[in-house]
Amino acid sequence: MSTLSQLSLTWVSLADKPVLETGATVFAFLAATRIARLGGNHPLLNPTLLAIILISLVLEATRIPYETYLHGADVIHFMLGPAVVLLAVPLFRQRAVIRASARLIAVALAVGLPVGVLSAVGIAWALGANSQTILSLAPKSVTAGIAVGISEQIGGLQTLTIVLVIMTGITGAVLGPMIARLARIEDPRVVGLAMGIASHGIGTARALQINETAGAFSGLAMGLNGVLTAILLPVVCSVLGFAR
Amino acid sequence: MLEQIARVLCWLSVGEIAARSGLLPLPAPVIGLILLYAELAIRGKLPDDLGVLADRLLQFLGMLFVPAGVGVLAHLHVLKTEALPILAAIVGGTAITLFLTMVIANWLCVAIAKRREPDAGQLEGAVRDVNT
Repeated sequence: MSTLSQLSLTWVSLADKPVLETGATVFAFLAATRIARLGGNHPLLNPTLLAIILISLVLEATRIPYETYLHGADVIHFMLGPAVVLLAVPLFRQRAVIRASARLIAVALAVGLPVGVLSAVGIAWALGANSQTILSLAPKSVTAGIAVGISEQIGGLQTLTIVLVIMTGITGAVLGPMIARLARIEDPRVVGLAMGIASHGIGTARALQINETAGAFSGLAMGLNGVLTAILLPVVCSVLGFAR
Repeated sequence: MLEQIARVLCWLSVGEIAARSGLLPLPAPVIGLILLYAELAIRGKLPDDLGVLADRLLQFLGMLFVPAGVGVLAHLHVLKTEALPILAAIVGGTAITLFLTMVIANWLCVAIAKRREPDAGQLEGAVRDVNT
């Protein structure tokens, strides 16, 4: 047996196991984190965004279809579920602070939730997007797991919603600290709340880098925004006659 | 540590059952989050191991979105046809949401802080009145 055919056999057997894809994802994120640290953790050097670009470049160069990668990287995607459950821990640690800030949290949600949905829907509608794209955009600020369910309920495209949710998350993670600096807002509770409401888990990951208070408020805002949007959006859509 | 992993997977499984049976119109991990929080609130204490597990996993929360993010490649052609409205809605909408939420929430914080200050002043005045 030639070395080449042995190699290709090894490759085929490896392709059945998610080792390469998982390893590549971890390695890419590790490299992305190093690059971000070298750049002083600048918001534009978002590790998630950098890792996505790195993986995409590797897939392009090696001509590995993205379906193969996604299938293999399922292990990492699966960990999102337990990670969302574990967001209860920072929430619990900050419970005294959160109880003391109940009014602030309520106000942030009362502003951020409707503004988040209406601004996206309004801009897309004004620029002539078709209705399915608009409906897919409506839950863009909600954490991916919840957003997909909402999108299905109101008649959007689930796959498109996933992409839009991630784009929103990266946008919020990049813009959040910039807008906070621009508006001269230093309260980590306010920054965390806004980032969690506007950009879900990716924003929360960024807020956790600021400090634990920002991360906890962001996680709390993400959770409450997700639950409330899941309850409210299908009702509003059916009242306006959009629902299926 | 294994006990804590079991705890998380247990609440996630309960969430999964509640979500799939149509009992609650919420995604399974969110139900799991609420249940874990409720358990911790009833216990009134965070197990050390669970804190360590959460810190470790949440530290690289950003990595968990990478596989789904690479899925953007599959939708490039769909996104291209409506690139302008989509990008404007995402960037514009997110910027407006972040800005308004931060400014109004911060305004509330300042208003509360200001209302407290005159209260403190009145209290001092009252104390002074009593003293004189």
